[in-house]
Amino acid sequence: MDTIQTAGQRDTVLARALAVSKTFRSGSIDVTVLRDVTLQVRTGELVLLMGPSGSGKTTLLCVLSGLLRPSAGAVDLCGVPISRLPERAAGEVRRRNVGFVFQTYNLFPALSALDNVAEVLALKGMAREQARAVAGGSLAGVGLGARLDHRPGELSGGERQRVAIARALAGDPSLIFGDEPTAALDRQTGLEIVALLKQHVNEHRGVLLVTHDARLLQFADRVIEIDDGRIVRDESIRSLPAVKAVPTQ
Amino acid sequence: MRRIAIRSILFDRGKLIASLLGVALASTLGFVQIGLYEGFVRSSSTVIDHVGGDMWVMPRGLNVIDYSQILSVGPRGLLFSHPCVADVRGLLYGFSWVQRPSGTRSTAIVVAVEPRPGRQIPWGHLLGNAADLNEPLRVSVDRTDLHKLELPSNPLGKNFEINSLKVTVSAVTDGIRSFTLNPYIFTSMTNGRRLLGLSENEVMYYVVDLVDRRCAADLVQWMRRYPDIEVVDSATWSRETQDYWVGGSGAGAALAFTAILGMFVGGVIVGQTLYSMAKEHLLELATLKAVGARPMELAGFVLWQVAFLASVGVVCGFVLALVLRRALSHVGLSVVVSAGTVSLSILATLLMCIFASVTSLSAVFKVEAAKVLR
Repeated sequence: MDTIQTAGQRDTVLARALAVSKTFRSGSIDVTVLRDVTLQVRTGELVLLMGPSGSGKTTLLCVLSGLLRPSAGAVDLCGVPISRLPERAAGEVRRRNVGFVFQTYNLFPALSALDNVAEVLALKGMAREQARAVAGGSLAGVGLGARLDHRPGELSGGERQRVAIARALAGDPSLIFGDEPTAALDRQTGLEIVALLKQHVNEHRGVLLVTHDARLLQFADRVIEIDDGRIVRDESIRSLPAVKAVPTQ
Repeated sequence: MRRIAIRSILFDRGKLIASLLGVALASTLGFVQIGLYEGFVRSSSTVIDHVGGDMWVMPRGLNVIDYSQILSVGPRGLLFSHPCVADVRGLLYGFSWVQRPSGTRSTAIVVAVEPRPGRQIPWGHLLGNAADLNEPLRVSVDRTDLHKLELPSNPLGKNFEINSLKVTVSAVTDGIRSFTLNPYIFTSMTNGRRLLGLSENEVMYYVVDLVDRRCAADLVQWMRRYPDIEVVDSATWSRETQDYWVGGSGAGAALAFTAILGMFVGGVIVGQTLYSMAKEHLLELATLKAVGARPMELAGFVLWQVAFLASVGVVCGFVLALVLRRALSHVGLSVVVSAGTVSLSILATLLMCIFASVTSLSAVFKVEAAKVLR
């Protein structure tokens, strides 16, 4: 992984897109969703990827995480040129380095909170007993230590999202991708969830969140705005003169 | 993935019950139909298989034991003159009419064979004394035929008529049932000839025991002096009789068709359950794929569910089949439960479940990780 020396702190580039374009074919029409996108996500920062609906945010997230291949350009994920890897190898890179948090949680309804986290760790190769211990710790870390045996149906939306965050954090990933993680939550819960994610940003880990919610800017280290497939702004939040001036969708 | 798969299917009770019923009923049908088929096969050649011997001598052109004809005494001497022949037994096997106590008539198969040490004919002894069959006009009947012959549950000493001769029941067997549903009446050779109207020394078949089975071809050659008789080894004769009744009558095809239909319906039920289960969990499976789960690990979601349904369903199906077997035995139908029939039924159920999982596996293999991001 590339390391950049900034202000006495060693930042590692976790995800990098270089002149990335993505075109989908719809019938006989080519639809270009991303145009010449270049960006980086580093350790120690929580980055918000914002923009209007249809601007290409989610496609960019897919491309950065290796779930989609770019039509042009290159993507590195945790130092690996993931855009050039076959699907299986890209999966291995995500298995080792990446966690996801989704709007709809995507938890198995039949499993307890503990098992929802532990099974992902088991899939990543951890021994079952160890996986359960780590999962328990991870859930305790998101404030669900007393709800380990509850199934998703017995948890509130915010608690489910906490389980999803615990699941994402449990494998100790370098980079967490979040796709509208607060969209299904009430205002207060949404803020708590992002605050929780912010707590887990450190010198070894970064977070990239796709969101429409301008209130989350208070937690961001950087904001990237995309419109019509192009990056129209990529600024450190500290450089913004007035955070509240960022348009809200 | 085993835990996720099993917990998921246990969680949805409706789908669990529907799919378990599908597998259990299909496998019950498999067990019963295959057991019935085996029962028919065995009953069609039961006399050949129990009388034993290495070779059977019969009029040329016969293809089933039931269409027996009279053999002269001539071949017996020639058989004994061959150095490889250890023993020759005459066997009577013929249809005769029966007059029941109520005066109504029916047919039965009279069977008698010259005794050989170590071969108890009739077998399956239940009541009475088989040695009494040597007394004049004493016969043995089977428990399953008592109703047909209008005899009480303990028929020892009871009388009925065969070919206008009054016979007395002196022994009862259990489980000797003919494919044609005609009651088997076992007796001694002397009684048998009287009941079938044969002259002394006349038989329907000769059953030959060889000193060495490798002599069989030589014996066949040796007996060509009698162009109107045929020498067939016991296994071939048994198989020809089975083929005639079970294959030729269409009974085997009918049973196979029903079993296949049952498996197909069961497969559709299980397939639908697995598919809807997979579809319901596509987002969760896509999530696992996004975090790096391999395709075969995702396939485990379906495969573990199939394995669970198949194993639990087969056990339930087997228990149901045993209950049905008991019920069918009361109406004279024999459902054979043997290592072979059980293995075949389990194999058929497994194949059904594998077939049922194809569409679900296809759906899981096609799941796109990008699906989880909207």
